[in-house]
Amino acid sequence: MASSDKTTNTDIPKKDVFALHFLQSLSNLKAQNPLDSPDKANVCVKKIKLAAYVSMARSAGGTSRLWSRALLRRAAKGNNKIPRRKKKVTWHRKRRSNRRAPVVEEAAERLRNLVPGGGAMETSKLMEETAHYIKCLSMQVKVMQCIVNGLSTK
Amino acid sequence: MDLSRGFGARSGGVVPCREATGLAPPPLLPPENAGSFTALLELPATQAVELLHFTDSSSSQVVAPPPPLHSFGALPFPCNSVLMERAARYSVIATEVQNGNGSCETPTSSVPSNSSANLDRVKTEPTETDSAMENNHSPRPSSQNNRSGKRKEFEKKGKSSTKKNKSSEENEKLPYVHVRARRGQATDSHSLAERARREKINARMKLLQELVPGCDKIQGTALVLDEIINHVQSLQRQVEMLSMRLAAVNPRIDFNLDNILASENGSLMDGSFNGTPMQLAWPHQVIETEQSYHHRQLQPPPPPQPQQWPFDGLNQPVWGREEDQAHGNDHNSLMGVSENLMVGSANLHPNQVKTEL
Repeated sequence: MASSDKTTNTDIPKKDVFALHFLQSLSNLKAQNPLDSPDKANVCVKKIKLAAYVSMARSAGGTSRLWSRALLRRAAKGNNKIPRRKKKVTWHRKRRSNRRAPVVEEAAERLRNLVPGGGAMETSKLMEETAHYIKCLSMQVKVMQCIVNGLSTK
Repeated sequence: MDLSRGFGARSGGVVPCREATGLAPPPLLPPENAGSFTALLELPATQAVELLHFTDSSSSQVVAPPPPLHSFGALPFPCNSVLMERAARYSVIATEVQNGNGSCETPTSSVPSNSSANLDRVKTEPTETDSAMENNHSPRPSSQNNRSGKRKEFEKKGKSSTKKNKSSEENEKLPYVHVRARRGQATDSHSLAERARREKINARMKLLQELVPGCDKIQGTALVLDEIINHVQSLQRQVEMLSMRLAAVNPRIDFNLDNILASENGSLMDGSFNGTPMQLAWPHQVIETEQSYHHRQLQPPPPPQPQQWPFDGLNQPVWGREEDQAHGNDHNSLMGVSENLMVGSANLHPNQVKTEL
């Protein structure tokens, strides 16, 4: 096993756990739908994407991270849509960002929309979560590329 | 907290240098050199240091040279106890006299703030004039009084070792430690909290900057944040694209996944969760379990075999080749694929992936 002597970086989430989760959820998806599914390709893509994100969130520590918790909660709602939050705790941006550095706050605002669960985060917490999210996302992209390459080549 | 630690360490670093100046230069400190102010500044420190280190003869020798600008310092002290008592009374006087007159007041008031003034000088100002010092003193006389009172106690028990002195001085400094206000910066709690928050954000952003490739050369917060946002967006788009490709690939491979998972659920319990060597090599493990599954199916047909068998035959092109390669039968261009799969999750070479594509 050529890869076993590589030292693992504990900071980066485990790839095999993600891959197992992802493959399992893919097979679950396939078990739900018959082989030639009547679903449109759009729905299928969405489901696969959701499965990928959920398995990433699960492999990245479950609910220990804010973004993974938000992802799982959003996925548990059953649909891919972002639910409109009414009275939830959000970072009061309007009031504070006036006084603060407008450049950073404006960029952090965009970042809040990207990172799941970012709406309720303070800026420094948002940065921290973004760092972890980026690590997990790049791991996810690598593993998915590996899977796609392994499956699509004949 | 680490700020405070660093600050305390810095103050601890400053103290010996002050002691050194107290020890060595009093003969070397002519009044015209430091404008007689820093000489006065140093003077009580030298007394304290004498208390700690010097014998009577050396103390008299050291105390003698400083200029007789104020009456107490010029007196030669016969013994240590008298000197101690003198120092204690001296700082008591300092707290009382401080609001009053000029030249006699400055050394006493500058005694307690000596180290902090040194700190400020180290941090920001290369040279410090008399007026600047006065400005530094004037805005917070209450804290000065407090500190001089503490200093009094500190000098009373000043006979202990220098390490103890340092630690007590750190304890004394501790409430002021996290106040990292330089001169001219606001010191109210709101702006301090705001400054701490900004520092935190900057540290996090530095961390993020290391994560995003090609981002460490960019200057400017806004550009760095833009780059980070772009990176996250591109990653998310990549995930979407990959899931599209997976969906396109999916109808061919679904039963394969079933097979994999059927055989993997066993190995998931014993294999992938128990140690580090298995963590990195999931595709290899997948292939192995796949092989074993195939072999198991080939040798004794289990009960669910009839349903899966045709699909296995269908899907044999995908996995069967890798199986062949694992047995070393096939050595042509597919080698890259299997290598990529075997080593894949450990180190995914993007170049390899691209060439393979």
